[in-house]
Amino acid sequence: MREFIRRIGYLLRLRQHDRELANELDFHREMAAREGRDNLGNRLRLREESREAWGWTWLDRLGQDVRYAARLLAKSPGFTLTAVLMLALGIGVNVAAFGFFNLMVFSQLPVRDPDSLLSFQRRAPRGYASDLPYPAMAFYREHSRTLSAVLAMHSAGLIAENEEKPIRASFVTANTFLELDAPMNLGRPLEPRHDDADAAAVVVLSHGFWTRHFGANRSVIGQVIRLNRQSATIIGVASPDFGGLTMSAADVWLPIARQPDFIPGSALLTSFSDAATGVQMWGRMRPGMTPKIVEDELAQLASDLRKLHPNDVWEKERLASEPGGYLKMSGGGQRGSGTPESASQRLRPVFVLIGSLALLILAVACGNLGSLLLARGVAREREISIRAAVGAGQGRLVRQLFTESLLLAMAGSLAGLGLGAVVLRALLLWTDSPAWLDATPDWRVTLFAVTAGALAALLFGLTPALQVARQRHRSTRVRQVLIGAQVAASCVLLIVAGLLVRGLQHATSMDPGFEYQQVISISPSLADHGFNATQSRTYLESLMAQLRAEPGVTSVSLVSTAPLSNRREVMRVRIDDRKMDVHVNRVDPDFFETMKIQVLRGRAMAMGEKAVVISESLARFQWPGQDPLGKPFDEKRPIVGIARSARAGALSDPDAGEVYLPIDEGDWPEMQLIAKSAGPVETALPRIAALAKGLDAQVFPQVQTLKASFRRKLESTERSAAAVSLLGLTALLLASLGLVGLVSYAVSQRTKEIGIRLALGARPLHVMASVLRQFSWPVMAGLLAGVGGAAGLSQLLRGELYGISGLDPAVYVIAIALFLGVAILAALWPARRALRIDPLRALRYE
Amino acid sequence: MPSGALVLLILRVLRPGPLHGYAIAQRIHLLSSEVLRVEEGSLYPALQKILLKGWVVAEWGVSETNRQVRFYRLTPAGKKQLEAELAEYSRTSEAIQAVLKGA
Repeated sequence: MREFIRRIGYLLRLRQHDRELANELDFHREMAAREGRDNLGNRLRLREESREAWGWTWLDRLGQDVRYAARLLAKSPGFTLTAVLMLALGIGVNVAAFGFFNLMVFSQLPVRDPDSLLSFQRRAPRGYASDLPYPAMAFYREHSRTLSAVLAMHSAGLIAENEEKPIRASFVTANTFLELDAPMNLGRPLEPRHDDADAAAVVVLSHGFWTRHFGANRSVIGQVIRLNRQSATIIGVASPDFGGLTMSAADVWLPIARQPDFIPGSALLTSFSDAATGVQMWGRMRPGMTPKIVEDELAQLASDLRKLHPNDVWEKERLASEPGGYLKMSGGGQRGSGTPESASQRLRPVFVLIGSLALLILAVACGNLGSLLLARGVAREREISIRAAVGAGQGRLVRQLFTESLLLAMAGSLAGLGLGAVVLRALLLWTDSPAWLDATPDWRVTLFAVTAGALAALLFGLTPALQVARQRHRSTRVRQVLIGAQVAASCVLLIVAGLLVRGLQHATSMDPGFEYQQVISISPSLADHGFNATQSRTYLESLMAQLRAEPGVTSVSLVSTAPLSNRREVMRVRIDDRKMDVHVNRVDPDFFETMKIQVLRGRAMAMGEKAVVISESLARFQWPGQDPLGKPFDEKRPIVGIARSARAGALSDPDAGEVYLPIDEGDWPEMQLIAKSAGPVETALPRIAALAKGLDAQVFPQVQTLKASFRRKLESTERSAAAVSLLGLTALLLASLGLVGLVSYAVSQRTKEIGIRLALGARPLHVMASVLRQFSWPVMAGLLAGVGGAAGLSQLLRGELYGISGLDPAVYVIAIALFLGVAILAALWPARRALRIDPLRALRYE
Repeated sequence: MPSGALVLLILRVLRPGPLHGYAIAQRIHLLSSEVLRVEEGSLYPALQKILLKGWVVAEWGVSETNRQVRFYRLTPAGKKQLEAELAEYSRTSEAIQAVLKGA
């Protein structure tokens, strides 16, 4: 250790040490000369040898190498620029992909002490739910000793004046702003007193809504805004850095105690029923508490609560916690049986897919870098043999060449970091992410970029360096492997892009198994307005009667989940050992007619009948080779019909199964309506909307066409298809550039040979073939590997392809043809030069 | 001369007091009855190594020719090292002697 400190001390006083040593040696010589002894040793060498003892020689050499490399790179700006750009592309794409996941996974919410926040979810053997009833939340809040604060949120769409669509409102416990230390842009935040029973209705606007709706007018504070025809006084505008605790940002925040004012009849604050919508809950741990202690306490409280409300608290219910200080991808309203997939499980395939695609781009870029370095090394043959002749060892030469590629890699990393940040910023804008997410690379991303660059230099700089230094560059093996790898990687990218594009094409032209062009959905959210089953039934039946009377409406029916909506109800069906998560819908007998979902065998269940209809896909999976008709679905209900598969719940997933349950008495407040019109839906929509809104002034139904929902569903696939296509084309471009470089290098290397052959009367076509032959097998091998890789990767995509097979032959054929076409052009263009070689000049050349 | 032995000799001639580089070479030459001649090519690298190990420190002093020059002084760690190496050396040389006589 001390030795190390002395070493560092030496390094810091390097010049002084050097001078002292020189002085000492001079003195030694003077003395020796006085005694008549001559010393002819090399002084410089002696000084260097003495310095070596300190172990810093490598630094000297590195400095030399870096200076030398920088000089050389500056002398051939064309090469340097190409190499750096190539690397920047490869690394940039990866930085953007990695940066995105880094943000999603690691970015803590910009709130006070995010580490002590937990978010909770109801769990029990019978199922899970992301929401819990408000009074249950209040019970936990009152009795918990391990939590210092409890936050709750309930989202709702509210109708605002001059806004076409309902705005997103977050009803939050009024402690939220102060507890999270939410930064304000203007005015004051919500305060706990706003939850008092007699408090006036106040609202805090999000920065985005304030800008959009009020043109960022600073005098809005104190103004009144009307939401669902109720007034609320604007007391503040949140800073753009505050987006609440969820990924989807709210437009306005209102105190949760005022929720019934805006949703007339709402029983949110009083109902323990787990059928009604509830709140998402967060808690802040007291200092010294761990999530485990909190969970244990809450489980105990849950069993206490169950004694008071045995029907509404599940058996063995507990609250499972997750770290609450991070971005939460999923919103509320998710429930189901079994255990939920965690966010990381759900996202893993996406991570793997994007990660592999990005790495493939890097591989192609590195392949190009490798061939560039190799070709350059050969061009520098003379320089290198001179250096070897004046005594540079092989190790030193390798080090020199390697330093050069390291320098390139570092420049490429930096450029890639910049490029990646720009791409990431665009990506964040594009995906409508919270404004506070910062695309500027943090230490993780920087480390990632530098490591990627260093690895690229190591893998693709070392081999050419070794080859060149050993002066064995005539071997073509390395070049062939490089081109093969590039072909494989760009092939995978092209095929995956092709699959996504074709899936999208298919989605827009396919039959999703149900009618969506002519259908309008009406969702009155009666449960939110506190309607009980009888009231809901009366409301829905009179609305249905009115709709049926409307000219042009051919069919109306009830559903619990409108097709293509964001609501999801999933049930795990387990028969023998086969588990399947199926989409559940509660429907009336007319549903199959309205949605044009054919009942293939059996029949639809009658109203109130205890029977179910299952989809063909579910029948195939759970009763393979058997006839499920008449078999019991569960203890109480037999299967009476098999309907055509309709991917209404999961449009893109061909494996999705559906089960249609009858409407129970208790389901009425949750029901929605769908209506099919004979004419164009666009003209029917306003009339139907007016009808639905006119029925009860207290209810604010959302009316939309299924076409619009369908388009929204396709948007995310459109985005990924566009992104992957861009990646694929980038890879194709890179690979063909690489091929151009390699072929022209091969031609220039064989100029003399070609000249001789032409002089001896060889046919030009033969000559060209002989030049290109060495590239044919690596290209073929690369193609094969690429097809295999793509086939493997496409299995991950299965749920996103709208029923297109991951092995769709058309996609493969087109992608390969496209690739081969471009590759052949890229090879022929430089190969033409071989034909224009003048034999006489070629022979005279050396 | 093996480099380990050179280090031992340098440490030994520095035991009575600080010397500059040339004087170290001279002392070794004289004490060995002019048998051992330490060339500057091995002396100075060895001195750097000893400096690095912390067995000696360099100090400015004035030579017999009235010139500013670096003198090397043994540190306590250097003394300890010298003792250890001397012990080790005599053990080894006795052992070698024993083998040579016995064979």
